[in-house]
Amino acid sequence: MEQDLMAPKQRRKFLQILAGGVGVLLAAAAGWPLLRFLAPPGGGDASDQVTINRGEVAPGSVHMFQYRGRPAVVLQPSPGEFVALSAVCTHLGCIVQWQEEEDLFLCPCHAGRFAADGTVISGPPPEALETLPVTLEGDQILVG
Amino acid sequence: MMRLFVLCLGLFTTLTCVLPVPEAAAQQAEETVCIQCHAGLEGSLGAPVQAWRGSVHDRNGISCHDCHGGDPTDFAMAMSPERGFVGVPEHAEIPEFCGKCHVGVLEDYQKSAHGQALEAGGAQCVTCHNSHAVEVAKLDLINRDSCTRCHDYGRAEKIKEILADTDARIKSLEGELERLSELGTNVDEQQGQLFSLRNRFHRAFHTVKIERIREQTGPVLEGLDKLREEIAAVESDLGQRKFWGSVAIALLVVAGILFFLIRRTYEEEEKP
Amino acid sequence: MSPLKALIDFFDVRLGVREIYQRELAGYLLPRRVNIWYTLGSVVLTLFIVQILTGILLLIYYVPDAEKAFQSVQYITDDVAFGWLFRMLHAVGANVIIIALLLHMLSVLFMAAYKGRRELTWLSGFILFNLALILCLTGYLLPWSQLSFWATTVATDVPGAIPVVGDLLVEFLRGGETVNNLTLGRFFALHVVGLPLVLLALIGFHLFCVKRRGISTPPFGEEYQQEELLPFFEHEEHPGGTPFFPNYVVKDAAVICFFLAFMLAIVFYAPGLFFPPSAFEPADPFVTPPGIKPEWYFLWAYQTLKIFPSEIIGLGVQIIFMTFLALLPFIDRGAERRPAKRPIFLTCFVLGILLFVGISIWGHYS
Repeated sequence: MEQDLMAPKQRRKFLQILAGGVGVLLAAAAGWPLLRFLAPPGGGDASDQVTINRGEVAPGSVHMFQYRGRPAVVLQPSPGEFVALSAVCTHLGCIVQWQEEEDLFLCPCHAGRFAADGTVISGPPPEALETLPVTLEGDQILVG
Repeated sequence: MMRLFVLCLGLFTTLTCVLPVPEAAAQQAEETVCIQCHAGLEGSLGAPVQAWRGSVHDRNGISCHDCHGGDPTDFAMAMSPERGFVGVPEHAEIPEFCGKCHVGVLEDYQKSAHGQALEAGGAQCVTCHNSHAVEVAKLDLINRDSCTRCHDYGRAEKIKEILADTDARIKSLEGELERLSELGTNVDEQQGQLFSLRNRFHRAFHTVKIERIREQTGPVLEGLDKLREEIAAVESDLGQRKFWGSVAIALLVVAGILFFLIRRTYEEEEKP
Repeated sequence: MSPLKALIDFFDVRLGVREIYQRELAGYLLPRRVNIWYTLGSVVLTLFIVQILTGILLLIYYVPDAEKAFQSVQYITDDVAFGWLFRMLHAVGANVIIIALLLHMLSVLFMAAYKGRRELTWLSGFILFNLALILCLTGYLLPWSQLSFWATTVATDVPGAIPVVGDLLVEFLRGGETVNNLTLGRFFALHVVGLPLVLLALIGFHLFCVKRRGISTPPFGEEYQQEELLPFFEHEEHPGGTPFFPNYVVKDAAVICFFLAFMLAIVFYAPGLFFPPSAFEPADPFVTPPGIKPEWYFLWAYQTLKIFPSEIIGLGVQIIFMTFLALLPFIDRGAERRPAKRPIFLTCFVLGILLFVGISIWGHYS
């Protein structure tokens, strides 16, 4: 600020108003994140939901689809029962393949094996395949 | 007072020199019995241990028994067929030996010209990747010296050319994701995706068929593009954060300066 | 009558707030030539408040269980809106507060503000500094990363060097022979409630001592006159001095703003400064990452332990040094406060700083 010829009191008033303005901006800058942080998380995106025709999932076989941008799989282990899983191997991220004859998922990268419900049978994967929420509405399977 | 201090110091020093030094208890992974024995052996029995150390298998916790079987915790049963010990595989047994884990590569290899030539002494895993001193597959494994051991370099050179561009793109994305993860951004999912794409890409090479490789490269490149978009979104997010952070920093600096100027107005009044 | 005046009148008639304002703020006179280092006290206080506030926010989402801790911190950083911001503020704030504490202590040492019957202020301040270090140590474990787990293992190993009771002490600290879920439980209780309560009580006492005895005059300039100490309690007056409010409050505010700007600069421009890669890997009791070291403010202790052939000597040297510092006002009894006239002190002071910095750098590279 250039040399003011104003008396200290006047200069101070001006500076205080400026500081007040900056203070309001800073309060907003602190308050907004605080509010968002404390606010409850938004409900699950309805647009994420995937609808699959029941007929596409024959008993004993699987149907691959995309869920939230990642490969997923839905299968019918017993008639009327549907299970949806993420097809991303929990070891290092490769995509698992369904082995019809052996009734399990096999990962081609390091031979991780998962059961039809996603649990690890053998190999390096540290945890089961992520299960996705499934609801049945008449002839439609809703995932997510 | 001074004498008391010196006496205490002397006593303390004497005591501490006499008392034993306690060992810092460090928890380390125990070595398998395989390593405990073979590390001390000579020649071809001991060499694999040194070769394996620092290899990609070592870094990922894959040890002797994971491939050769046997019991890694019991000296008596370490090399027992009862515990799955299979010993050293013969030339023609090697693909299935490595293929116990590397399922996808085995599939593609068996369909390839190399796979067909296996019984006749053709190339198998160890031919290019070494045993024990195995490293993450890289493009330079395809080179004139290696491939011309059995045939001319023509097709190999062509394949290497086709692979080069995608390989470079994979490497660049790996670097970017590494940089992001060092900043603390969680890119585990993206790193997993890239790993999956890289493996799909590497595995396709083993067919050593140009059309097949081109077929597989298409989807891989699509996947890489999608990843690049996701990374761009993450970087844009980080850029936004930095922007608003800079605004906040600037506001604080301005506030500090304003407060200092206000202080100066008081100082002028304080002067007598 | 303005509404503001009416409001103040309401409280003034019931609690005498105007008198408090006059006594504690506008009428609280400080020496005229108080320098910038005097602001560090309020800087430290503000930073503690920031730690408490961000800490409470993190508490909303953090889970103090070995199976879930790392993942809960990941949830805060990746999924909670602005979670990354409050986590970073808390982690970076912890380091900045140690810097501010060190500067505060160094300026008090240099200006011999511990003299003139201010031993209790110094002692409570020194204990506060140690409490802050223990808060940092206990907080470090909570994310349950590889860095957390192994740095805590190394740090809790140190008391093991004490003869006879060493091993028992270590087990007591850890709630077992090795760092495990029980360690997390006790460190969490200490970090979130135990230590903050003691801290707040001591801060209250420290501030009470400062106010009660009075602010010391800076020992510089021609007008400085050594205080004459009479054999009874005296509050050091500064007649004709400068009011604390608003004159010095704005100065405090300015330096606080700069420290906060510094903190934010680290958060946004050097976020990896206090986060090596092992800070982002979940704890694995079976794999020790290479090159695990304590945080920079403990490197001096870490390296000192490595220098001496026996751990107990290394530990003993540190205990002697810390005890000496704690009891400094009882050892340095001279009345002289001007640095230029205290050559022995100045030499020790400069040597001490050089040693601290030197050994810490050595510890970083060793």
